[in-house]
Amino acid sequence: MMDKEFMEILRTHNLHKSFGKLHVLKGVNLSVEKGQILSVIGPSGSGKSTLLRLLNHLETADRGSIFIGGEAIAREDENGNSVYLPAKEVLKICSRLGMVFQNFNLFPHKSVIENLMEAPIMVKGLPKEEVEQKCMQLLKKVGLTEKFDVYPGQLSGGQQQRVAIARALAMDPEIMLFDEPTSALDPELIGEVLETIKTLAAENTTMIIVTHEMTFAREISDRVLFMDDGQILVDGEPDEIFKDPDHQRIRTFLQKILEKR
Amino acid sequence: MDFQYLFDITKYIAFGAGVTVLVFIVTLVFSVPFGIFCALGKLSRFRILHGLLGIYTWVFRGTPLLLQLFFTYYGLPMITNGAVKFSPLMAAFVTFIINYAAYFTEIFRAGIQSIGKGQYEAAKALGMRPRLTMQRIILPQAVKLILPPMGNEAINLIKDTALCSVITVTEMLRNANRVMSRDFNVGALVIAACLYLLLTFVVIQVFRKLEKHFAYYQIK
Repeated sequence: MMDKEFMEILRTHNLHKSFGKLHVLKGVNLSVEKGQILSVIGPSGSGKSTLLRLLNHLETADRGSIFIGGEAIAREDENGNSVYLPAKEVLKICSRLGMVFQNFNLFPHKSVIENLMEAPIMVKGLPKEEVEQKCMQLLKKVGLTEKFDVYPGQLSGGQQQRVAIARALAMDPEIMLFDEPTSALDPELIGEVLETIKTLAAENTTMIIVTHEMTFAREISDRVLFMDDGQILVDGEPDEIFKDPDHQRIRTFLQKILEKR
Repeated sequence: MDFQYLFDITKYIAFGAGVTVLVFIVTLVFSVPFGIFCALGKLSRFRILHGLLGIYTWVFRGTPLLLQLFFTYYGLPMITNGAVKFSPLMAAFVTFIINYAAYFTEIFRAGIQSIGKGQYEAAKALGMRPRLTMQRIILPQAVKLILPPMGNEAINLIKDTALCSVITVTEMLRNANRVMSRDFNVGALVIAACLYLLLTFVVIQVFRKLEKHFAYYQIK
């Protein structure tokens, strides 16, 4: 058994983030181990997405530190304020994280396979043939081999999101971040995306998933975080949270979600 | 109608059309890249650069092109005591490039700004640096968006070249005018009008082709 220190792949300490007067994150401490599947749930505005976006530097933290694979992209100074590494180094460290967005954000002027190949070739400088072969395999994994040369605009939302997952995987990330990957999808398309994510789970990919799909979260996760008002209220196994939550906030939240259905 | 005469004046006016096309091409070749750089400058974080470029586009879009031509050709030699003195054609090049680059700056800026934040974020999440993101993701998409306004500007440019005649550049309108005042013949203007129509027709077709070429994808 490897010791815990070695297994830890991501850690944050006392993360704070404000947008103007709005204090969105109020001291988040998080530690993720290699191979873990973590779901983040909670009411809208609770800071789930912001937390994810801080991890790969789409937003900058005001206070606190962020470690990815033992390397700090942000450290705390003596007052606890975040001090970031130079942008280039942060970018390099953060490329160990893959991100899947709510709105897919595929490159519309590039075909499906070009979307996948862009970063491995232009960022990592890998040879084209090698990248192409690998990307075709990734398309096979998400079940879209035959769509390799079409443009994103011709795909359904579910297909676009599966391409976006493959695109993130093409960079060989150590952790996959999913920011509400099914929230922009029509109900009948949600299943195919969740299935794809489950395939990755079966391969022990480390994942952090912000989601409103409770059944899915319960089924797939090793750990569930319940966030409320910028803090992690509960951090535990899925059953702890879903079966018989002792927290009133969680009960109210889950009830509301169920009523919506 | 004397066909030999008609042929001669058409040839004479068409010779002027050559100068018109020359001003058109030189202006585009230099003002487009200049406009791209200014647009990127306007979108950068440097406050002073913003301010300077803001004044630049304001002045050159906000005053008549005719006035600017006068200023470059007649005004500059006067205020520099002859140290800066352009030939008529050179003065036309300089003025048109600076004037049109001001318009292009604003068109390109607007085009780049209409590409959504999500594209930058996706590129960043894939480890792409800002410069690479601009080159590979943002600018190629902005090109599609700016084609229609660029087509308009290109048509305007064809017609604006006629202004060069006032600083004695022997372009199409000037030649037509000469024929008209020499022979009291309005036909010269009709011939010039037809040649302008021909040139703008070509420009329209080129831009139609370009827009078709970029129709293979949509930007949300």
